[in-house]
Amino acid sequence: MAKSGAGGLRLSEAGFAWLLVLPVVVAIGLVVAVPLVYSLWLSFTDVNLLRGGGPALEAFGVRLPLYRWVGLKNYLQVFDDPLYWSSLWRTLYFVGAFVAEATLAGMGMALVLNERFAGRPLMRSLLLIPWSLSRIVVGLLWIGLLDFEFGALNGLLHRAGLIDSYLAFFKDGFTSLNVLVAVYMWNQAPFATLLFLAGMQSIGEDLYAAAEVDGAGYWQRFAHVTLPALRPILFLVLVLCTVNAFLMLDLIYILTMGGPGYDTTTISWLGFQTTFKFFKFGPGTAILYTLTALCLLMTLVYHRLVLSGFEAEA
Amino acid sequence: MSTISRRKFLGSAGLLGAGAVLADGARRRARADKPLNFSGWVFKPDTVKDYVDFYNKKHGGQVKYEAIPWASYHSTMETRAFAGEVVDVMYCNSANRERWFENGLIRALDDLPGMDELKKKIAPASLDSLKNRDGSKIIGLPYFNSIFILMYNEPMLQQAGIKAPARTWDELIEQCTKLKRDKVSDTPYLPNWNNSASGTMPQFLSDCFSEGANVFDAKNHVIVDQEPGVARAMERWQKAYAAGLVNPEVLTKTSSTDTHRLFWSGRYAYHTNHSYYLRTIAGEPENSKLAPKKAKMAMYPGNGQTHMFTEFYTVNAKTKVLDDAWKFAKFLGGNGNGDWYVQRQWCLIAGLDNPYPEMYDHPEIIQSYDKWVDLKLLREQYKKGRTINAFKESWYSEYDTKAIAVVHNIIRGSSTVPKGLKELVALQKSLA
Repeated sequence: MAKSGAGGLRLSEAGFAWLLVLPVVVAIGLVVAVPLVYSLWLSFTDVNLLRGGGPALEAFGVRLPLYRWVGLKNYLQVFDDPLYWSSLWRTLYFVGAFVAEATLAGMGMALVLNERFAGRPLMRSLLLIPWSLSRIVVGLLWIGLLDFEFGALNGLLHRAGLIDSYLAFFKDGFTSLNVLVAVYMWNQAPFATLLFLAGMQSIGEDLYAAAEVDGAGYWQRFAHVTLPALRPILFLVLVLCTVNAFLMLDLIYILTMGGPGYDTTTISWLGFQTTFKFFKFGPGTAILYTLTALCLLMTLVYHRLVLSGFEAEA
Repeated sequence: MSTISRRKFLGSAGLLGAGAVLADGARRRARADKPLNFSGWVFKPDTVKDYVDFYNKKHGGQVKYEAIPWASYHSTMETRAFAGEVVDVMYCNSANRERWFENGLIRALDDLPGMDELKKKIAPASLDSLKNRDGSKIIGLPYFNSIFILMYNEPMLQQAGIKAPARTWDELIEQCTKLKRDKVSDTPYLPNWNNSASGTMPQFLSDCFSEGANVFDAKNHVIVDQEPGVARAMERWQKAYAAGLVNPEVLTKTSSTDTHRLFWSGRYAYHTNHSYYLRTIAGEPENSKLAPKKAKMAMYPGNGQTHMFTEFYTVNAKTKVLDDAWKFAKFLGGNGNGDWYVQRQWCLIAGLDNPYPEMYDHPEIIQSYDKWVDLKLLREQYKKGRTINAFKESWYSEYDTKAIAVVHNIIRGSSTVPKGLKELVALQKSLA
C-alpha cells in the first residue's frame, strides 16, 4: 500500500514487488495475452484480411479490425466437416505414438547416460545434435536417408545384399505416418533425455544406497527409487511432448504435405492450410483452438495420472 | 587514464544519436524521392536481383527487391497489406490473383500507357489468363507460362528395342509394362502426381484434356462425372499404379521440382511435368544422367492437348508511385527494355517460357533451347495448350488443394473411378 511521508511516496513490500514486475507483466500482456485474445476473437468472426474496414480497436496507432461476429458458426462448420474428425483421430494416433516413443527412448537414453563409462561427456554432447537441428534440416536429412530413389539407407541395404529392390518408406499413408512419428521422435527424444537426466542426477545417492542395503536389484531400484522421484520430470516431459506433437507442422510440410490423400493430415496441418492457404482465418483459428483445448485437457489428465498425491508426499 | 563524467557521456551520446538521425535523413534525400518496393517468391533470387540492379542503373529506378519463401508468400503479402504496407509491384500466382483484385489489393492495367500494344503481342490463350473473371480487365502481366509435356528416356527405349516414343496412352502403358517385365526399369512411368498445387491437379487437367474431355463447364462448374474421357484417364492411372509401373513415393513428393529430380536418375522411361524441367533433365550433365539431350520431348499422347498456365506480376492498387511501378512492371512482364530483357533471361537461365511468340525468333533463344529441347516441337505443343478459367473463382484454391486427396484415392484404388469423380463434383459444389 502506498504511504506518504516526509521522504515522499512509500510503498509496502508487496507494492514495491509489483512495481518491479509491472514492466514485465505489461510486456507479456502485450506480446502474449493480446494476440491470444485477439486470435480467439477471430475464431468467432468472418475474417478477410484484405477487408479491414468496419469496427476496430485502435491504440497507439495500431488498428485491430474486429470483423463480423458470427458466433459459433466457425466451430460448427469445423465440427461438421468429416475431414476434421478423420484428422483428429490421425492426430491422436500420432500424438500417442510419439509421446510413448519419445518418453521411453528419452528415459532409456537417460538411464544409460546416468551410468559412469568412458566417453560419457562426448555421448551427452552428441545426443543433443538431433534436437538442436532445425526441423527443416531434420526433414531434408531424413529424405536423404529414406528416399526411394536416392536414399542412403536403401543404397546401404541393397549393397549389403539385404534387399533386392529399394524400399518405399512413404508408399502408403500408414507407413508415412509412422515414418513421421519416428523422425519426430529422433528429433525430440534427446530433449526428454536431457530432462530425465537432470532429474536423475538430483536423486540422492543415499536413497540408492539404502535400497541396495535392502537387497534391491537394478530394476527394483529403478521402479521404487528412480521412477517415483522422476514424477515431476515425467509430467513435464509428457506435457511438452504432447503439446509439441499436437502442434507439429514443419516435418509434414517437408516430408509429405499431408499426403498421400489425407493420410498424414493432422489437425495442425489442416488448421495451417485452412488459415494460410485458403485464407479462412475464422475456421482456421477455430480448428487450432480445438488443439489448444486438447492440449489443456491432456495436461489435466497427466497431472491427475502422474502428479496426484506427489505434492502431499513431498 | 582520463575519466569521463556522466554529464559528458550523456552529452556525447546525445550528439552521436542526433548525428546518426541527421545522417540517415541526408542519405535518404540523396538516394531518391520515390523508392519502389518489389516482392516475389523465392525462385532464383540472384537472377532477379541482377535484373533489378540492371533496371536501377539503366532506367534510373529505385527498386527495392525482397524475396519471400514460396510457402508463405501470398499470406505474407496479405498480412502486410492488412498492416497498411504498400508493395508496389508483386508476383502473384493464378490461385490468388482474382482474390487480390476483388479485394482491392491490385489494380487493373488497361488504362496504363502501352498496354494496348502489349496485348497485341501476347498469344491469345495466354491473354485470356491475364484477364479478370468477367474478362473485362487485364489485371496482371506474365511472369512466365508453362505447359505440361511428355519426356522420354531415349537410351532406355532403345535398349528395350522400342523405336519411337508412345503416341497413345495405351501404347505408353504397353511399353512401360514391357520395360518392367523385361526388368529394364522397376517403375518406368513417372507422372507428376506430387502432393503440391503444381503436381497432381495440373497433371489431372492435362491427361483429361488429352482425352478430349472437359473438366469445367462454361460456368466453371466441375463436370468430370459426365465426361467419359476423364473416366478413361483415371482408369489408366489406377491401372498403372496397380501394376507397379509408378514409383508410389511420387504421391508424397512435395513439389514438381522434387519429382523431376527422380527422372535425373535415368531409371524411368517416361515423365510428364512442366516443360521447363526438361532444361535440367536434358541440359545439366552435372546433375542429370539424361543430359545432354538423352531425355527428349514427345508430343503429348492422345489428342496432344495439355494444361497451360501463366503466373503474374501485379501492380498494387494503392501505389503512390504508379508511373514508376508501371514502368518497372512493363520491364518485368512486357518489353520495357526493348529487347525482352527479363523474359529472355528467364528463358535462358531457367527455361521458363512466356506468351510472346515473337521472342522465340531471337537467335540467342534458339541456340539456348537447342541444348535441351526441340524448340519447334515445344512451340507446336504450346499451340495445343489449354487454359482454364476456373482458377479465377474464389473457391478454386481450396478445391484445387482438396481435390488432390480425392484423386490420390482414385489412383490408389481406395475409391472407385465413378465414386471419386462424383466426390470431385460434390467438393466443388460444397465450396462454391
